[in-house]
Amino acid sequence: MDALNLKIENDIAILEFDTPDSRVNVLNRQTMQELDSIVDQLAARAGSEIKGLIVSSKKEGIFIAGADIKEIEKISSAKEAVEKAQIGKYILNKLGRLNLITVAAINGACLGGGLELALHCKYRTASFSEAVRIGLPEVKLGLIPGFGGTQKLPKIVGLLRATNMILSGEMVSGPDALRYGLVDRLFPPMRLVEDSRDFIRELLNGRVAVKRRKKQGLRNSFLENTPLGRAVFFDQAGKNVIKKTKGFYPAPLKAIEVIKRTYGQSAERGSLLESEAFSKLAVTEISKNLIKVFYLNEEFKNFPWVDAAIKPARVDKCGIVGAGVMGGGIAQLLGFYDIPSRLKDINYEALKTALKTAKGLFDYAAKKRILRRHQVDYKLGLISPTVTYKGFENTDLVIEAVVEDLNIKQKVFKELGEITTCAAVLASNTSSLPITKIAEAANSPDRVVGLHFFNPVHRMPLVEVIRSSRTSDQALATTIRFARRIGKVVIVVKDVPGFLINRILLSYLNEAGFLFEEGMKMDDIDRIARDFGMPMGPIELIDEIGVDVGYKVAKILEGAYGERMRAAPILEKVRDKMFPGKKTKSCFYIRAKNKKMPNPDIYKIAGISRADSAISDEVALKRMLYVMINEAARCLEEGVADRPQTVDIGMIMGTGFPPFRAGLLRYADSLGTDNIVRTLYDFEKAKKAERFRPCNYLISMAQTKRGFYGTI
Amino acid sequence: MDRIAVIDGIRTPFVKAWTLFEDIPAQILGTISVRELLEITHLKSNLVDEVIFGAVAQPVEASNVARVISLYAGIPKEKRAYSLSRNCASGFESVTSGFEKITCGLDEIVIAGGAESMSNIPLVFGKDITKILMRLNKSKTLMRKLKLLSGIRPSHFKPVAGLVLGLTDPVCGLNMGQTAEVLAKEFGITRKEQDEFSLTSHKRAAANRMKLREEIAPVIVPPDYDIVVMDDNGPRENQTMEALGSLSPYFDKYTGTVTVGNSCQVTDGACALLVMKEEKARQMGYEPLGYIRAYAYNGLAPNKMGLGPAYSIPTVLKRAGLKLKDMDLVEINEAFAVQVLACIKALASKKFAEENFSYPEPIGQIDMDRLNVNGGAIALGHPVGTSGSRLILTLAKEMKRRNAKFGLASLCVGGGQGGAIILER
Repeated sequence: MDALNLKIENDIAILEFDTPDSRVNVLNRQTMQELDSIVDQLAARAGSEIKGLIVSSKKEGIFIAGADIKEIEKISSAKEAVEKAQIGKYILNKLGRLNLITVAAINGACLGGGLELALHCKYRTASFSEAVRIGLPEVKLGLIPGFGGTQKLPKIVGLLRATNMILSGEMVSGPDALRYGLVDRLFPPMRLVEDSRDFIRELLNGRVAVKRRKKQGLRNSFLENTPLGRAVFFDQAGKNVIKKTKGFYPAPLKAIEVIKRTYGQSAERGSLLESEAFSKLAVTEISKNLIKVFYLNEEFKNFPWVDAAIKPARVDKCGIVGAGVMGGGIAQLLGFYDIPSRLKDINYEALKTALKTAKGLFDYAAKKRILRRHQVDYKLGLISPTVTYKGFENTDLVIEAVVEDLNIKQKVFKELGEITTCAAVLASNTSSLPITKIAEAANSPDRVVGLHFFNPVHRMPLVEVIRSSRTSDQALATTIRFARRIGKVVIVVKDVPGFLINRILLSYLNEAGFLFEEGMKMDDIDRIARDFGMPMGPIELIDEIGVDVGYKVAKILEGAYGERMRAAPILEKVRDKMFPGKKTKSCFYIRAKNKKMPNPDIYKIAGISRADSAISDEVALKRMLYVMINEAARCLEEGVADRPQTVDIGMIMGTGFPPFRAGLLRYADSLGTDNIVRTLYDFEKAKKAERFRPCNYLISMAQTKRGFYGTI
Repeated sequence: MDRIAVIDGIRTPFVKAWTLFEDIPAQILGTISVRELLEITHLKSNLVDEVIFGAVAQPVEASNVARVISLYAGIPKEKRAYSLSRNCASGFESVTSGFEKITCGLDEIVIAGGAESMSNIPLVFGKDITKILMRLNKSKTLMRKLKLLSGIRPSHFKPVAGLVLGLTDPVCGLNMGQTAEVLAKEFGITRKEQDEFSLTSHKRAAANRMKLREEIAPVIVPPDYDIVVMDDNGPRENQTMEALGSLSPYFDKYTGTVTVGNSCQVTDGACALLVMKEEKARQMGYEPLGYIRAYAYNGLAPNKMGLGPAYSIPTVLKRAGLKLKDMDLVEINEAFAVQVLACIKALASKKFAEENFSYPEPIGQIDMDRLNVNGGAIALGHPVGTSGSRLILTLAKEMKRRNAKFGLASLCVGGGQGGAIILER
């Protein structure tokens, strides 16, 4: 027992949350039961003996992190879910009705159910600590708030703000929470409970009044306070959600529906509707998958890829060679995380563009209130452009991002080997060249690693850290710590052509190319992939990467893996006609005024007179996905990736593989490996193409009725 | 003897005010110079003890500009920084101040320099309107407010350029150009002499652009980053006596000789130098540009401020135990051509030496082939807080090129002072 501890000091009760054997406080079944009985005790003594209640936390930097996700994951029926939500609300409502001045003293993360508990208190205070983050992130798990969040939050911060908070799942800082009226006072962290007690006393004496709602502008007042305005607002919110989620995620839509139907309604009806909506979502595959991805993410945040005894070196300053899209993007990212960089290119043109792009991104962050205005100059100033190696002598880590040409990269690493100290880590951002080969040129190959960023650098959360046969544990540990410091999810993979992600992805891009040459329309191919949930279709993606780059990588992989990775001939044909991808805004697609049209010339180049084929959407999708699954299985077989989780997080974070499908290999398991193997054999026979032949790893799984994650 | 060494230095290009750098405040110019200094010397930023920067017009949004520069350049927050002003000698003072800090054992490694954006010196409103606005802010009643408002006159909104105020001596009431005219008259220096001197400055600066690049860090100009500035934009390749002659006197319309052509330019720029003890430099493996042998400042009548070097040069020579003829190279800041010429005359004058220093003989002759060999402020410009550091940098780099033994840098200081430093190698 005893996640909760009740102290009574004079006439003020202090309820401390302290979930045993846990770093965080969660609202699980047991805690809720304890809360229930404590609230009953308090109700009996409220008014006369006890005048106020402070709900506080004993955990450092955490108020209450939310409901216990494990319990939600286990919910198997809608009935069970409704009950859970209703019981929770029943208890919290009792807390809300206590004849006491109730204050939630928020000392850190206050999320989901934690915030809902706080919303049932009459007042909220928070500490000035940066650890204070307040929000309702349920939609990120495919859910909506189930403990009254959709009902209480609009009453406190207003309909517009509440809806936006619930739909985005974003967390707000203490000062922002104060501005929104979400908390009523901020106090120093050390005095949070004491000052909250004084606050209660002042409230009791009637010496202070709490004013939450600020004056609204005319527009917001219209949207919030008139039936017509609200209709417009909900309609717009729904459209925005559809635009953002492409309709794959039902939770935000449900949230809008609940708020819309319950706004201004009786509390009971509102809370029942909320529970019902919650219960429908809680049992969906999508929610279960998003919870799996949440765990996956948590796991990879701190996964120890190297022996914990190896201490990563400090990185105070970075060198970056090559100020192209990737190099410039990396410099911007480092600036964002306050790491000084020396950015070298052979001429000033690239440097100008890099600085211009970085400024654009910083300005945007300032506009979005992610950064304060004054931080922009500082962060931008941390990027020091140069056309020489001066200043590389004292870098702790250098990232090479020059053109994908082994000779040039080797030249750079030879130079870097000479100019840097032997403690500096030398990382290559190559997407396809072998690190071992690049490292040969450096005077000490043990400090060379691959550090593969994805484009655009500031948005794609993944980096592949590539360990060559010579890479030292020390260099690896330093690189991993560094990559995490700049906000990236790290996977460590083996040094094979294409590494993990591009190797898998390219089989998919190639397959799209083959489908195209068999007469499928490019917009159909892309639509099929998007309908599956990919952020963009494969042909669009080729345009985005640039057909020249895509072709180059495809050829490298063809060279390495032979027939099964044969580059789709269309790539070569198009590249020879020199359509340099997005740079001229016309390749596979023609771009005009933000609209994309398939480029009719491409069909001519491909020698396709009439784009029309008998391939069904279903077959096309299976072909594209199953070759990826097959290639991923090979990667596991060869030890390129250590486990299926690595593939799944990599594909989600690196390519935008739809999280609601929980990852490529989770998806494969849901289909059944035997199913996939059978279909691949069929494709092989029908197309007489080696690339469909299932690998042994996959076959043996199918034979033993196992999936990537074990028995199904 | 443990001398104080100038290890290396770097500066931004000097750019005419209200041109390419007009959107870059002084703190950013300073940051560029300090960051680049750290890069070219590959010094770990946590080894810097103190950043000392001269700045005459401290940016209002960055008071103690040195501290802002230090932090922006990535020097850890635990380190110290202060800004100072000795007017036009601020960039000298930062170096000599570092010298003193190091000598006293308070600092080991100092970055000294100067940063000035004359483009960004604000216009100011008069005291009258400022007072009214402040009181309006504080007044509580409507009547009081109306009364205050009724006192406002259109003339109150005529702004005064801070730059003009800054260049006017509050004690003698003359602006800097007028003090130059005082010297022209006292020493009988003609317009032609001044123009010829100015032409030389331009010719030398233009001819030595490649040399000057060795002390310049190219700047990709924010906020648009479309332009890279690699060179000073003051020197005119095609400057002529005719062009200079066609300008009318700026400060004294009728009998004056000082024109904008034979005065220094108003300029934006920053410069940073790395200073430490000789022994420390040896330990760290640096090969210093030069060592500070001696330095001196002195005061004189504010209305003759241009003559400052004529006083500080004899003083510094005495401290160094050297003669003017020992100096292989001399840099005298060209605030005005006439002021440099007047100093040369004074130093060569027996009477001046007798009257001011009780020397039986003149201090010495400075011939033109040792003076400002790469041009001076008339061509390069004079960002007031920065120039002192720039003189030391340019002098030290040239001494290295020529393998010179001694070099002298000096400048006149608004308000009536002079400053001089002797470097040795």
